[in-house]
Amino acid sequence: MSNALSANQAIQTKPALREKLGAWTPRLAIAPGAFASLVYVFGFTLWTLYISMSNSTMLPTYRFVGLKPYFDLWSNARWKIAYGNLFYFSAFYVVLSLAVGLALAIAIDQRVRGEAIWRTIFLYPLAVSFVVTGVVWSWLYSPDAGIEFLVRSLGWHDFTFRLTTNRNTAIYAIIATGIWQSSGFAMALLLAGLRSVDPDLIKAAQIDGAGPARIYRKVILPSIAPIFVAVAVVLLQFAIKTFDLVVALTQGGPGISTTFPANYVYDLMFQRGEIAVGAAASIMMLLALAVVLVPYALWTVWRSRREAAHG
Amino acid sequence: MLTIKAALAAALVSAAVATAAQAEPKTNLLSQWSEGSDAAAIAKLGEMFTAAGGKWEQTSIAGHTANTLAKLRADVVAGNAPPAVQLKGPEIAEWNETGMTANLDELANKEGWDKVVAPELLPVMKPGGHWVAVPMNIHRINWIWGSTKAMEQAGVKELPKTWAEFNADCDKAIAAHLICLAHFSQDWTDATTFEVVVYGQNIDLFRKAFVEGDTKAMRSPDMVKAFAQMRLMVSKYMDPGIAGRDYNTATSMIAKGQAAFMIMGDWQIGIFTAAGLKTPQDYQCGQAPTDWGKPGFILNSDSVVFFKQKDPDYVAGQTLLAQLIMSPKFQTVFNEAKGSIPARLDIDLKDFNPCQQQSLKALQASIADGTLVRSMAHNMTVLQKYRGAMLDTITAFVNNPKTTPEEAANAMADAVDAQK
Amino acid sequence: MVDATLDLALDSQARGESLRFALRRVAIYAFLGVFALIYLLPLFVVVANSFRELPEITQNGLIALPHSFSLKAWPQAWAHYCVAGTCEGIKRNFFNSLYMTIPATIASTLIGALNGYVLSKWRFPGSETLFVCIVLGVFMPGQVALLPWAYILGALRLSNSVYGLILVHVIQGLSFTTLFCRNYYINIPDDLIKAARIDGAGFWRIFFKIILPLSPPILIVTVIWQFTGIWNEFLFGVVFTGGTQQPITAALVALATSQMNAHPYDVASAAVMIGAIPPLLIYLFGGKYFVRGLTQGAIK
Repeated sequence: MSNALSANQAIQTKPALREKLGAWTPRLAIAPGAFASLVYVFGFTLWTLYISMSNSTMLPTYRFVGLKPYFDLWSNARWKIAYGNLFYFSAFYVVLSLAVGLALAIAIDQRVRGEAIWRTIFLYPLAVSFVVTGVVWSWLYSPDAGIEFLVRSLGWHDFTFRLTTNRNTAIYAIIATGIWQSSGFAMALLLAGLRSVDPDLIKAAQIDGAGPARIYRKVILPSIAPIFVAVAVVLLQFAIKTFDLVVALTQGGPGISTTFPANYVYDLMFQRGEIAVGAAASIMMLLALAVVLVPYALWTVWRSRREAAHG
Repeated sequence: MLTIKAALAAALVSAAVATAAQAEPKTNLLSQWSEGSDAAAIAKLGEMFTAAGGKWEQTSIAGHTANTLAKLRADVVAGNAPPAVQLKGPEIAEWNETGMTANLDELANKEGWDKVVAPELLPVMKPGGHWVAVPMNIHRINWIWGSTKAMEQAGVKELPKTWAEFNADCDKAIAAHLICLAHFSQDWTDATTFEVVVYGQNIDLFRKAFVEGDTKAMRSPDMVKAFAQMRLMVSKYMDPGIAGRDYNTATSMIAKGQAAFMIMGDWQIGIFTAAGLKTPQDYQCGQAPTDWGKPGFILNSDSVVFFKQKDPDYVAGQTLLAQLIMSPKFQTVFNEAKGSIPARLDIDLKDFNPCQQQSLKALQASIADGTLVRSMAHNMTVLQKYRGAMLDTITAFVNNPKTTPEEAANAMADAVDAQK
Repeated sequence: MVDATLDLALDSQARGESLRFALRRVAIYAFLGVFALIYLLPLFVVVANSFRELPEITQNGLIALPHSFSLKAWPQAWAHYCVAGTCEGIKRNFFNSLYMTIPATIASTLIGALNGYVLSKWRFPGSETLFVCIVLGVFMPGQVALLPWAYILGALRLSNSVYGLILVHVIQGLSFTTLFCRNYYINIPDDLIKAARIDGAGFWRIFFKIILPLSPPILIVTVIWQFTGIWNEFLFGVVFTGGTQQPITAALVALATSQMNAHPYDVASAAVMIGAIPPLLIYLFGGKYFVRGLTQGAIK
């Protein structure tokens, strides 16, 4: 602390010019990157917002027509399916990835042999693109050559496993594949979290006579709640951007049953020449994000205020 | 001394190359033909272009058609529209309205295209009265293909001519433990089959609903009847494996005699030929069933559109490419392989597959009888947004056994109304 | 920690408990083993099928122990297979991806480190708000950005080139790299900076002499994140480049999602492996540091 104090004093005695320069260098240094990011985040979003209220079809145009594209969008059956799929998928994908990740993390935390190997096995899918993931799993789901074929050739001739060819179950194929890809990420971060819990807390619980299950439930998990939330937010942004996975796995089918908003936006903007409606759909995607992000942001601010107050 | 000489020579050579390059027509064709016989056909065009002294480049975008259109739109927005793009139907008119397409009238007049191109194609290639696109071929959609082996096994003598005959033949095939209709479910294949049903049942309904986009016609009892026939075909005459099947597997069901029939456009000839199958030993071709007893023709045509360019090399390349595509030689080579027939009606088809010869006769007869229509499923009639809405409904209907024909007819009309 | 708990508990228990303990261990390994099988299945399938002969694959299915061995698929996929109209395999696409990914990763990481440094150690009025605004970019769906990017790339004459893609990936990556670095640097004690300033070190000197040497854990995270993210990106690759300029993901989609063909599983498997090897290698060697770095502050 004394160091910091003297530093403050030292700075205060520096010449004014140096101080001014010192104050501006950081701002100049961050300016290019910040400018590019701001254009990207706000410029692009505002442009899209305006286009979503224009009469653009083949190419972007700037004649204002109000909310008409939004009404067009919401009177569209396929969009409703896509928006519904987004919420359904996000809920299952985020919750189950966390659950599987937690189960794996707890199992690995039991001082197993070859921990690094287990961790690598569960984490490697994250390195693989959604394109590759989707392609390979579509082979595995395919009745002609994949899992059904394998089980049948083992002797169960009536076995059927056709997630992707049934419109009611294809969404589960996408969910399962997503979990395969992402649960290792949850595992890795949760495992690190488990290891960072204050040992004294655990000892105290032990002295009170709590068993391992109880200790996890009452002591460890609550103290890593922030990690859960952070992982959930990362997974959620993957979920909302889901595009390549669907392209490679089901192409939105059978029929239109696994259409996702990102795929439909792409279709509207590029395939169907409905740029305004496509822009409206992408604004709806951003709104879906906001539904989750705004509470998260508020929670983060609240938490840091509380920590500051206690700290 | 030597080095100076060498340098001089090098400078002279590069100067010569530079002047030659200035006069050299060049092009870059953007297309979605990235695989199989399509890619081979484009490669053939490239060879001819190079042989004629041009500098050939092509960009073929794989996967979904949306990828090609996204690329085109991104290029146009970025201010460098591609010199030549494979585009079809109403999209030609839409791009023409943006004022960015190049005018080919001079060349067209010189070569007399108006006299040789099939009349049905003229309004598509000349959306504002001027030539902006050149047709490469004419595809016929309303074909039924029969597996010679499966038909024998089922005791079906010849291809069905009406939908009643089709249903009766299918029942025979099922009794012989065969699949009646080989199919794989994608939005465009479901729509292809469905438009063939609508056309065969009621040609006026086809014109009203699929050409004019009249939603009243879509809600009509006739459309419900067409959906009911489609439901019968999906639930009974196709097998449950249609979702997730690929094209070649569907083709092999005909080749192996597992399925009796297939409904698909004439590019199927190209695919049969590539698989080593021959007509009539292995497969038979015939007009898809119609209930009105005349020759019919659902037409689809691939074409290339040209966008205005500043670079004179590209402009020269556009003229050369348009000339080549319209040349009898290209129209022959390209279409022989692809299964379609030339867009020029003045070409002798003696070396073509018998099915292709039949296609030309049907085209001429249907023009005479007034039964020729353009294909909705293959994007030759309504705007893409309406077509997309129709395809969504059709493929959702095929994949959801709970949707009734009435619901589907109304859903299609609603979806199209929503786009207006 | 819980292991310690268990051991302690064990010591104080009767002998009969040790059987229960052994059963528990078996259950844990069984649980991990079953999941490991599921996780490894796709990798096994792809690796095995890239060395099997196609007829054998079609006959015995994709998930089977190899009964044939062939090296044909790899050179085929690398240099000869016909994708998107040219029969040169995916070699060129592989190098396109490499030329795109390496500079974009380095640039976005360095700028992100600089941003993070300023936003954590040189705060100014509004810098917190600026941070939040930059980080919002993490959530932008790519489709929203397609057309604006097309304008910008066109204006800069960078459309249809790997350079254009580099620019796009650098700027889109800034949101992530800034987030990671800022959250990491905020844990570096301010005293360190202040001490350096007393010694007369300026903004840049502190960055290069103090911050960067302390950064490897977080730089590894951002490099891994950016490298895999950019290497695996598909949408921009397919829309902003064409033909010979396309990255490998576009070629893989072309090769593997054809609706025409029954999949050429052997060649496609080899191609998939070629496309997946660079990020896999990065994870294999950097995975440990990745997780460590992430938990040291990147994700909070």
